Amino acid sequence: MSRTLEQIRAEGREAFERHGIPNTRLESWKYTDVKRVVAAHEQDLLACPAADKTADIAADDIENIAIDALDAYRIVLVDGCVLTEGIGDLPDGVRVESLATLLSEHPEQGIEPLRLEEDAPLFNGFVALNTACARDGVGICISDKVKLEKPLYILHINSGRVAHICHGIQIGKHAEACIIEHYAGTEDANETNAGGFTNIVSQLRLMQGARLTHIRLQQEALKTTHIGRVAVRQHRDSHFASHSIALGAGLSRVDIVTSLAEAGADCYLNGLYLTASRQHADHHTVIDHQAPHCNSREMYRGVMDDRSRGVFNGRVVVAKGAVKTDSAQSNANLLLSPKAEIDTKPELEIYNDDVKCAHGATIGQLDRNQLFYLKSRGLSEEEARQLLTFAFADEVLTSIRIPAVRRHIEHAAFSKLPLGADIEELLAGEPLTEEKLI
Amino acid sequence: MIKIENLHVSVDGKEILKGINLEIGAGEVHAIMGPNGSGKSTLSNVIAGRDGYEINQGSITYKGMNLLEMAPEERAWNGVFLAFQYPVEIAGVNNTYLLKAGVNAKRKHHGEQELDAMDFMQMVRDKAKLVELDPSFLSRGVNEGFSGGEKKRNEIFQMAVLEPDLALLDETDSGLDIDALRIVARGVNTLRSPERAIVMVTHYQRLLDYIQPDVVHVLVEGRILKSGDKNLALELEERGYDWVREEAAA
Repeated sequence: MSRTLEQIRAEGREAFERHGIPNTRLESWKYTDVKRVVAAHEQDLLACPAADKTADIAADDIENIAIDALDAYRIVLVDGCVLTEGIGDLPDGVRVESLATLLSEHPEQGIEPLRLEEDAPLFNGFVALNTACARDGVGICISDKVKLEKPLYILHINSGRVAHICHGIQIGKHAEACIIEHYAGTEDANETNAGGFTNIVSQLRLMQGARLTHIRLQQEALKTTHIGRVAVRQHRDSHFASHSIALGAGLSRVDIVTSLAEAGADCYLNGLYLTASRQHADHHTVIDHQAPHCNSREMYRGVMDDRSRGVFNGRVVVAKGAVKTDSAQSNANLLLSPKAEIDTKPELEIYNDDVKCAHGATIGQLDRNQLFYLKSRGLSEEEARQLLTFAFADEVLTSIRIPAVRRHIEHAAFSKLPLGADIEELLAGEPLTEEKLI
Repeated sequence: MIKIENLHVSVDGKEILKGINLEIGAGEVHAIMGPNGSGKSTLSNVIAGRDGYEINQGSITYKGMNLLEMAPEERAWNGVFLAFQYPVEIAGVNNTYLLKAGVNAKRKHHGEQELDAMDFMQMVRDKAKLVELDPSFLSRGVNEGFSGGEKKRNEIFQMAVLEPDLALLDETDSGLDIDALRIVARGVNTLRSPERAIVMVTHYQRLLDYIQPDVVHVLVEGRILKSGDKNLALELEERGYDWVREEAAA
């Protein structure tokens, strides 16, 4: 039975009333308290702002925020609304529409990504709120066997308002694509009283044999709160590589939930969170092995400075029928200050014997032998520390194969380190070799 | 160039070096030999400035400076270099970047201009040839995934690039096959010069077949019991260390 948009919105509101804003009594929200940031937005967060209430952003400002020298198909959203101009000529077999357009012109397609999945792992009140309120987002459909040569680059700019955004992405059978979701803020976003609030849900579906690289780069303004969810359904022999980088926002929470629903599917989840001052960055991931012969690899790293806090929770579930599962997970953290904090918890739930699963988490300081080695070659204590910190973080980025994206993230990461500029100068003098980029 | 006087060093309260006296001049090559646990590595680590060692007594004077008061990086800027017994792997820190940082930090300390990137790369390639190091190693992480022999060659390569005045080779020969040993020795011999002092710490005589020392010291239980010319090494090879111990006790 097909439902109307009005019905879906009403279901979203009802679900939100049942679930409410997540609180710290919930196991999966134990370390992330959103009470204060939600209170600051109480009115407008639930009021589902009208889609046309966005800031005017000059074209120059967009260029300054966007990833430099990136050859990509670009879609820009400001405060949760797609700027209509700018989705350039797309190759055959690639369809990109704004959700607002879909909802008004093809509502039966538009409502797809908004559908409630209350049983899905880590479902919470923000997801329900998204269903009730998201007016816009991007719908992407890559047809079977199409290989998208350039990445699709979705740039989200928050000027300090509430934005509920919903993306629906489908990669057809044996199709290949790279999608970059970049979340950024304007200078103004720190000027508003409550700061911005981004609540984003991306629904991804990979059909048989599809391959998707999904890069999620969160660089929102420090006063902004970022709540994100990436829900992935993987069909037979599909391949999903996710890179989630959290550098910005005062408080950020990203849930990545991937379901390996059919045999032979692979997923690679990489993540990096760098926090300073009083930032709080939370990643929760769930890899749900439902079918046999699926592989999953997960590597998350975090560097916490000052009084900031990182949270990582990675759950791997292996269902009864998911035999020959091969899964490995690691989470490593560096604490740069005695007041910084990390709460990390890898979780394995295995319901059959025929599997290979490994996981581990480490928390540490820099290696003394490595520090001495660098100093004995003439690097100062500070330089050696910064270089090792950067190298630790950079290992996660080595798997990002788009040089412009990697450079952008490295530059942003450097500028968060106390001596970053010096280290960057040291590394920048040398032309990057092929080996360095691959 | 360096003068060590009555040096007493302990680790975790246990005395390892018990009064070392040693003087090495520019242009000289010294070998320090001794059985395992005699304090050879402690001596080279203390000279390079590794922490974790308590200096109980004595002094080290290097080019007229109090070496023990200098940070490891200051020692490097002033020409001290340690080729590690166990070179450290540092994933993600590019070999060439490290050397560039090291060379430029030293130049900066001496008020010289930093090397131009092109000149630096040319110099690095030339030096890599000296120890037959594959150029692909230059852009890899420091010692990352290197075999034991490659790590040791990389140490000598770094030494060639950093051009130290005092080079300490800590067991550089151990774990090398004969071909690798020849390559490493040729590298070291090329770096012999009237301005440079080289100290080789080893417990095998075979390294000294390839790099001929001016002076050989025997370090046993934290003391230098005997010094002599290169023939002393041959004698040690033949007779072991016990006779030195007995001779000293007599």
